[in-house]
Amino acid sequence: MESFINMILLTLLAVVTLGVVRLRNLFAVVILGGIYSFLMASVLIVLDAVDVSMTEASVGAGISTVLMLTVLYMTRVEEAKPVHTPILPLFVAGVTGAVLVYGTWGLPAFGLSDTPINTHVGMRYMELSVPDTGIPNVVTSVLASYRGFDTLGETTVVFTAGIGVLLLLRRGVSLARLRRKQQEEEKPS
Amino acid sequence: MQIVIDILSFVLLAAGGVFMVISAVGVNRMPDIYTRLHAASVADTLGAGLLIAGMMLQAGPTLVTAKLVMILAILFFSGPVAGHAVARAALAAGVRPHVDHPEESADACGADFNVEAVPHETVRDDVKLIRSLKGLRPAGRAAKAKAKG
Amino acid sequence: MFVAATLAVLVSLVLLVVRALKGPTVFDRLVAANSIGTDAILLLAVVGFLTGRPEFLDIAITYALLNLIGTLAVLKYFRFGDLAHSGGEEPED
Repeated sequence: MESFINMILLTLLAVVTLGVVRLRNLFAVVILGGIYSFLMASVLIVLDAVDVSMTEASVGAGISTVLMLTVLYMTRVEEAKPVHTPILPLFVAGVTGAVLVYGTWGLPAFGLSDTPINTHVGMRYMELSVPDTGIPNVVTSVLASYRGFDTLGETTVVFTAGIGVLLLLRRGVSLARLRRKQQEEEKPS
Repeated sequence: MQIVIDILSFVLLAAGGVFMVISAVGVNRMPDIYTRLHAASVADTLGAGLLIAGMMLQAGPTLVTAKLVMILAILFFSGPVAGHAVARAALAAGVRPHVDHPEESADACGADFNVEAVPHETVRDDVKLIRSLKGLRPAGRAAKAKAKG
Repeated sequence: MFVAATLAVLVSLVLLVVRALKGPTVFDRLVAANSIGTDAILLLAVVGFLTGRPEFLDIAITYALLNLIGTLAVLKYFRFGDLAHSGGEEPED
């Protein structure tokens, strides 16, 4: 049943991606991007990756949509026609995809117990997480307790970057407004 | 007792699933945005409500039921808010409702809804629609400034 | 019995994606996107019961809130043309 749900969701993902590629209206593309994120989050939930799914939903459907809309305010809503023929990019994308698919053949089967992930330090965390920290979710204990300072640093970096982007975008918005106001004043005279 | 709860919850889940599908079919079959909103709201109220009621019967009086109640409450509040906002934004952008007798409807809708102002063809075209929306704002501000000054 | 509910939610997901791709206006896509968010929440809950672990419903609550915020952000953009608008003053339309 789970693989069936995943099959349907992944097919929908492919269809939505084709829609994003085909559409030239960027507003519609932003909305389809939000739909893509929600579908991807559902796939990750079905695969039991709860924390990744949470990140996908909040970053993909929440923050990216808002950022894209802010950017759209300063650009045109219609995508420009490509200047070059898309043969070389298609070739590069095809080769990269083929290499990635080739790489997946070397991966161990899903959920195998004697892989490096499950035999190295992973088991130590699994065993010591609850007695060490008292947190039942191992991912949370690794992120917030074992690597607490690391996470704090990352959060600071992302927060600073967010403030910087916001400042840059505000400035751009006011410039666009100024330019429009100038045009408005020039038109009647 | 358990069998009664199971049957009841199966009926609720099945009814909820039927309403979800009806809502999705309605979103596809309805002729314009406003009627599609009407169809979409079925999923937020009856569909989600019945499905979550069925799940609550299965979960029993646990923390899971409390979470389900919270989800239901959020859906009940956010659904109408989002629907209202979509309808308002669509009307503000000049999307005309699909009507059988346009002249009478224009009278009924009053000044808020000017048929002459927005020709039907532009409404169907997203790009033109948004450009006209962007163009409207500064002009509106300029008009307001003139009225004040 | 949760299988039937899951199938119903999946069918409605497919139909809503069809509407999101067909359009024709941005608002039609938005309605579809909002409904897809609701469907994703319900799918999450139903799949939780299907696999016997309904503890992940916190995520569903977060999804519900994010869905509302995303839709309102897009709509505010359409209404006021700017996300930083205070919203107190109505634009002329």
